[in-house]
Amino acid sequence: MSQPKKVFTRRRVCRFCTDKDVTIDYKDSKTLRSFVTERGKIIPRRIYGTCAKHQRQLTEAVKRARQLALLPYMGSTQF
Amino acid sequence: MRHYETTYILRPNLGEEQLTEIIDRTNAIVTNDGGAIIFLDRWGVKRLAYEINKEVQGYYIYLNYAAPGKTVDEIERIFRIDDRVLRYLTVKLGDTMNAESIEAEKQRIAEKAAASAVAESEDAEVDEFDSEALEDESTED
Repeated sequence: MSQPKKVFTRRRVCRFCTDKDVTIDYKDSKTLRSFVTERGKIIPRRIYGTCAKHQRQLTEAVKRARQLALLPYMGSTQF
Repeated sequence: MRHYETTYILRPNLGEEQLTEIIDRTNAIVTNDGGAIIFLDRWGVKRLAYEINKEVQGYYIYLNYAAPGKTVDEIERIFRIDDRVLRYLTVKLGDTMNAESIEAEKQRIAEKAAASAVAESEDAEVDEFDSEALEDESTED
C-alpha cells in the first residue's frame, strides 16, 4: 500500500466561470439536466468544482425548474 | 414598476379558444394596472417531469412584463381560482423599470431570439459541444 487510493487530482474549475456562454437559467432544462444525477438530485460542488456563487445560482435554478415540472423532484431525468 | 417574468402551465387539451382567452385575460390584468407586456412566448405542449392533477403534458406560456407588485398578486389570485392553470411561477427580474428600460429589454430579447435562431440551425454542433466541453476540462491540467 505505498500508494493509497488514487484520489481525483485534477484541479476542477467552475464551468460557469471559465465558459461565459453557459448561463444558468431555470427555463433551460436541457443544460440543467447535466447538473443533476440521473435520479434528479443536484450534483454537489465537491464533484463538479462549481464555485460557491454559481452553485448557489444553480441550486436556485434547479429548484425553480422542478416547480415548473421541467425537472423531476425524483425519478428519471430522461423522458 | 418592477420587472417580472411569469411562466404558467395550462391543461394541454383546452383548445385554441380557451388558451387565447386565458392569455388575453392575463395580459389584460397587466395592462389595466398600467404595466407593459414585454414579451410573450408560447412554448407549446411539453411533457411534464411528473404528473400534475393527473396530467402528463402541459401547455407552457412564458410572459415577461413590467408591472407594479399588486399586479402579481392579482394574476396569482386568478391563477389559483382557475383550475385550467396547472402551475405558475413568477420571478422578479428587476426593481425599477421605466419606458426606456422596457425598450432596452425588448431589444435584448429580440437579439437573443435572433441568436438562438442561428444556434438552432447549428443544433447538431451544439449537441456535440456539451461533451466536448467536459473533455476539455479534463485535459486542461
